[in-house]
Amino acid sequence: MTTPADVPLKRRTFLSLVFGWCSAAFALAASVAAAGRFLVPNVLYEPDRRFKALKPEEYPEGPTFLPNLRVFLFRKGNSFRAVSAVCTHLGCTVNLAASGFHCPCHGTVFNESGSVVSGPAPSPLSWFLLSLSRDGRLVIDTAQQVRPDRYLVV
Amino acid sequence: MLERLWKSFQGTRLGRSIFRVGLPGSNLERAQVAISSFLLHFQPAKVNRRALKFRTTLGLGLISLYLFLILTATGVLLMFYYVPSTARAYQDMKDLEFVVTAGLVLRNMHRWAAHLMVLCVVLHLCRVFYTAAYKPPREFNWVLGVCLFLMTLALSFTGYLLPWDQLAFWAITVGTNIAGYAPLIGKKLQFMFLGGHVVGESALIRFYVLHVLVLPAVAILFIAVHLWRVRKDGGLASPAEPQVLQEELQPAQLPLTKTYGLMELARGTTPMVGLKPEEEVFTWPNLIFRELLLFLATVAVVLVLSIAFNAPLEEMANPVHPPNPAKAPWYFLGLQELVSYSAFWGGVIVPALIVFALLLLPYLDRKRRGVGVWFSHERRLAIGVFTFCLVTAVVLTVIGTAFRGPNWSFQIPWKPAAAATEGH
Repeated sequence: MTTPADVPLKRRTFLSLVFGWCSAAFALAASVAAAGRFLVPNVLYEPDRRFKALKPEEYPEGPTFLPNLRVFLFRKGNSFRAVSAVCTHLGCTVNLAASGFHCPCHGTVFNESGSVVSGPAPSPLSWFLLSLSRDGRLVIDTAQQVRPDRYLVV
Repeated sequence: MLERLWKSFQGTRLGRSIFRVGLPGSNLERAQVAISSFLLHFQPAKVNRRALKFRTTLGLGLISLYLFLILTATGVLLMFYYVPSTARAYQDMKDLEFVVTAGLVLRNMHRWAAHLMVLCVVLHLCRVFYTAAYKPPREFNWVLGVCLFLMTLALSFTGYLLPWDQLAFWAITVGTNIAGYAPLIGKKLQFMFLGGHVVGESALIRFYVLHVLVLPAVAILFIAVHLWRVRKDGGLASPAEPQVLQEELQPAQLPLTKTYGLMELARGTTPMVGLKPEEEVFTWPNLIFRELLLFLATVAVVLVLSIAFNAPLEEMANPVHPPNPAKAPWYFLGLQELVSYSAFWGGVIVPALIVFALLLLPYLDRKRRGVGVWFSHERRLAIGVFTFCLVTAVVLTVIGTAFRGPNWSFQIPWKPAAAATEGH
């Protein structure tokens, strides 16, 4: 039934064994990879990450929270900036505080421009690209970040 | 009267076809009951008297199993009403609470049994550690147990996401973000769990399938092997057991000319070898009766809890604002305390190290000292290290539970909290 250790393995048997086991391993790996890839969707039915807001002059001086985007829009005279309200630590929505932002989940404190003052967040809050549409309305692109000193001046 | 009814049923052709052995009258039949019934064959025909004593195991593994059974039964019933869609999930919870007959109690039972199961599984792990029951030859069963502990936590996590209340929504948000910190594959893993970039419909259905099918199926398989190994590894760990249970099978000793008898193929000695007859008792009725009693007690405790206290349900999920403070259930608050220092170190590295250490424990600490003895003096170092880790975990959990207020700021629970600074 079993081959005793002292009988040498025939080349044909050896090659068949190698071929058989390699095929089995390949088939298994391919199946696992296909099943894993299957779980990653190709089409997303999610809202557009670019959002057309109101006209600049319709926003009051100071911060305005845009809930569906989770973004704070700041107006200072005629310059605008859009700061993400999503904490860079674990994704909770930060609250506006007297000076800066507080995260209610794990206690990170950000200053007014979104830099980390204290707490576990590894990076500052994102600033998003602001532009004007042809009909004069603000467009916020949450897919594109800008440096935290880039204001849109209208 | 009942016995007469049973006996007459046993006498019929149908009765004989279902039950292989009748109610036992003699010792032979008592042994046969345990050996030849599918449901009872997990247990030996006779057990050590020591195994019957409550303080040997505190019944914790068995209670965990019973809680799992309660969770399966109540969970299947809840599935008849619950629809895993973001539009309906929360309404279905409210229906269960206010409209469906016995819906409230069933949901309460499911939730409290889940909490109790986490508690019992952790205590069971501690019991096995403190009685050194993971030492050879039971190393692999400890590994299976650690896997079951992780599955219990995963089942709890995926479970409390389903009501789609505030706790659920922000737990998915935070949990999948922690997964995003895993090195190399983190972001891909997060995308795969959520089925997208935002927490929504596709995330809910994924966690639902994990909770009601994938995890329970895997857990049932592991539980079966875990229980089977308890028997195969020589029953409950005991100080009296022979030093080497698993002798290597020597092929040369086996005569090659005849068919082997079972006793020749069996490895080592069975747990019964070396026991005096007065130290062993029949499983039926001694062990079976105690097991049924423990089952009744477990159901009773869960039922009383469920009638006395309602399971928490927070407000409907609000994807814009987390509650303040946003707290996980108690068993994850130690972890939440850790990630409030660093998501990568507290959420990925420390948990991974703990799991790794638990899995490796029986392969590092191999000397068969103090087996079957609570807090053996021969294992001071191991007990010290384990107790230190355990106390740390408990302290972190207590801090997360009682000493954290709005914005996760430190507060003294018996002093009035400073007013939360609300932005809007």
